[in-house]
Amino acid sequence: MSVPLNILFWVVVIPGTVILGLVACWIVRKVSALVQWRVGPPLCQPLYDIMKLMGKEILVPQDAQRTVFMAAPLVGLAGVLLLSMMLWRITVAQTAFIGDIIVAIYLMVLPSLALILGSSASGSPHAAIGTSREMKLVMGYELSLVLAFIVVIIKTGGQLDLATIAQQAPALSISGMLAFLVALLCVQAKLGFVPFDIAEAETEVAGGVLIEYSGALLAVWKVMHAVMLVALPLFLVTVFLGGFGTTGWSLVWGIGKYVLIVVLLILIKNTNPRVRIDQAMKFFWFYCGIALVAAIILATIGSYYGIGWL
Amino acid sequence: MNQEELNNKLSEIKDKLIAVEQPADSRIYLTCEAENSYAVNKFLFEDVPLRFVIATGIDSDDCFEILYHYAYDETGCMVTLKAFIRDRENPAIESIAPFMPAAEWIEREIHDILGIEFKNHPDMRRLILADDWPEGIYPLRKDAKKPVKRPDGEVCSRPIVQSQSPARRTVELSKPVVAVGPFHPLQEEMEFFQLTVDGEIVTDIDMRISYNHRGIEKISESLQFDQVPFLVSRICGICSASHPLAYVQAVEDIAGVQPPERALYVRTIINELERIHSHVLWVGLAGHFIGYDTVFMWAWKYREPVLDLLEEITGNRNNYGNVKVGGCREDIPDELTPKILKELDKIEKKMEMLTKAVLDDPILHARLKGVGILTREAAVDYAVTGPTARGSDVGIDVRRDDPYAAYGALDWNVITQTEGDVFAKAVVRLLETFESIKIVRQALKNLPDGPVTTEVKEIPPGEAVGHAEAPRGETFHYVRSDGGNRPVRHKVRAPSYVNVPSFRASCIGQHIADVTITLAAVDPCYSCTERLAVVDQHKNVIHDYDTLLRLSREKTARIKKEMGAPELKMEDL
Repeated sequence: MSVPLNILFWVVVIPGTVILGLVACWIVRKVSALVQWRVGPPLCQPLYDIMKLMGKEILVPQDAQRTVFMAAPLVGLAGVLLLSMMLWRITVAQTAFIGDIIVAIYLMVLPSLALILGSSASGSPHAAIGTSREMKLVMGYELSLVLAFIVVIIKTGGQLDLATIAQQAPALSISGMLAFLVALLCVQAKLGFVPFDIAEAETEVAGGVLIEYSGALLAVWKVMHAVMLVALPLFLVTVFLGGFGTTGWSLVWGIGKYVLIVVLLILIKNTNPRVRIDQAMKFFWFYCGIALVAAIILATIGSYYGIGWL
Repeated sequence: MNQEELNNKLSEIKDKLIAVEQPADSRIYLTCEAENSYAVNKFLFEDVPLRFVIATGIDSDDCFEILYHYAYDETGCMVTLKAFIRDRENPAIESIAPFMPAAEWIEREIHDILGIEFKNHPDMRRLILADDWPEGIYPLRKDAKKPVKRPDGEVCSRPIVQSQSPARRTVELSKPVVAVGPFHPLQEEMEFFQLTVDGEIVTDIDMRISYNHRGIEKISESLQFDQVPFLVSRICGICSASHPLAYVQAVEDIAGVQPPERALYVRTIINELERIHSHVLWVGLAGHFIGYDTVFMWAWKYREPVLDLLEEITGNRNNYGNVKVGGCREDIPDELTPKILKELDKIEKKMEMLTKAVLDDPILHARLKGVGILTREAAVDYAVTGPTARGSDVGIDVRRDDPYAAYGALDWNVITQTEGDVFAKAVVRLLETFESIKIVRQALKNLPDGPVTTEVKEIPPGEAVGHAEAPRGETFHYVRSDGGNRPVRHKVRAPSYVNVPSFRASCIGQHIADVTITLAAVDPCYSCTERLAVVDQHKNVIHDYDTLLRLSREKTARIKKEMGAPELKMEDL
């Protein structure tokens, strides 16, 4: 990549990701609305929401641990922006070291951790319940997610480097497909979408983890969520579906893969009620766990005997 | 047990009573002194056994009367026990709440509004009066007329969530408490549930209602008999056909009026359409509460045509104002029948799809089955009504038990389920919509010719009870007339008033996630539950319509001035 292009990349990447995230937010809202026979918001609505929140007062509860409460959203946003940066570097502007799958796993936990920290610092009983639910949820899906990536690592012959993994498409095999489906559900939970919006559960704990946040801090959470809507599906595309090109058909194909994942997420979101936290944990540990153990066994057999479709 | 056996059974306690009157087969009035009321009530509730409906407190001139209304659902008989409290200075009576949880709220309410002390009541906190309401002023006593000011001259604004007085503080602060309310995304109206939690498990629940009094019972005493239906239809936008119907039936009972056949069928049709739209509304809300917004939106979309039909028939989507003493105000024109039938077919088809989708969804099964179980015994103790009772295998339905309007002449079924969980209640409601469609179809087919009103001249002195099956359960009205043109006492009991306290039996031990849907499963209607008391008394300024209009105009003018907009006069337009 030439130097001016490189500079341009660094200039646009963060605002670009945020804007893409807001567009993704709009897609989620619009498609949900269409599924529910509503009209849905205009394209700029997520942006208006953020702008409006930015102008509002920030209220910090009396009992809150102020620093943690204020810093948590920024930490979460930073983590998820770093993740998206990594992914853009793989697809758009490759350099020597861009981090491997382990780093990505760490970065993906950051938003949830930040949410847990921030909400537990707020000192509200509703947030406390939300925090405990978020913690349980993280423990639930994180194991499944890591197992799903192990399948990928086995399928790609022990590769940890994301750029190399992105050259292959592990989902085109039985074990890879299983791992992909489980990872998709984990992403659903990471995004806090129904049926896994347990930590926020508006009608139960009135927003749970986010209940005490207002104004600009809430806006940061919203932006973080928007960026996650870009980064997490993109990560799935990179790891499972053979990555993302920058030119011609491979670009269109890449966008297609991304849209496919987002649409799947939206459909799951709109055709399910919220589950209880114990049901969610049972689902991830028990059902997803069994599926992934089977996938790992299949993948190992496949790589040992050189059978690609296993 | 038939009616005769019931009469024999009641004669067993004759020595405790002053008199037994039976103006009609299905109406029995017993009278006793306050000292005997506990024994008689215990006999009625435990030995007969009757279902407790509500109690009415009345300030008669020389004494206080407490009327305990019971229903015997096998024959549809309403039994009313009147207890006289002769001591006006220190009125007191033995509480019946210790053996009958259903009476807990109403005794607190009577204590609030009439100042009658209930001895041995487990929880004598205020129920409906504001925390800052002064002691010793009882709004429904005949001498409580003047506006009052607090001794210190202070005016506190509501809502006050945590009272300063130790008497009302209920939960020790050392335990973690989750507040659902007074304002909460779960609720459309103000209501306050304090959940004491241990992790995710709810260990105790305390309810506080009455953030929004409108003083319906008090206002009703100042309206003429013919005006009251408009008032009571505004108790609740959804039950706005059943409340006036129950009231009108009570007044017709006093006056001995039999409305024309056609009016009975028109009433049936409007009430059943109301039930369809209310049940579909609940399905949508229930979906929303468990995060299933697609069901929410779809159900409400399917509900719209029903409201359109109601609008076409009565002129309004809600608050139909169609029923009056002696018949109906408006007829259903015959040319509308084919249209209604056509719409019903469409609605039935959509409801079949929705019902199938809801009943076959495995995740809904996981979320709703075995959740918030109200056992049959608890349902009887809390005297719940409507789908809440029928979901717990208590097969009561006023439409069948004490047939009114045209229900006796039509063929339909009472839906019951045995499980008592949230899922059972959902099934009851969904299947009931099909029964309602069936009823409307038959009623339209058999709609007799003739007028819809009969002339009513005077309402003689007397008293009567009227009840009707609202979508949420039995709505009950008691009216007493002294021969004038206004009711001297009008008691309203909406179904939510008995259904909501059953949370104590169904919520404790549940997950927080399940409590919300359990709370919603009885389809609580807070506007119905809170229809009593007069709130403007602690303010000396009473804002009437003109004042508000003037204030509103002044504010507009002020804002315009601040913005520098040119002043616009009526003459310029």
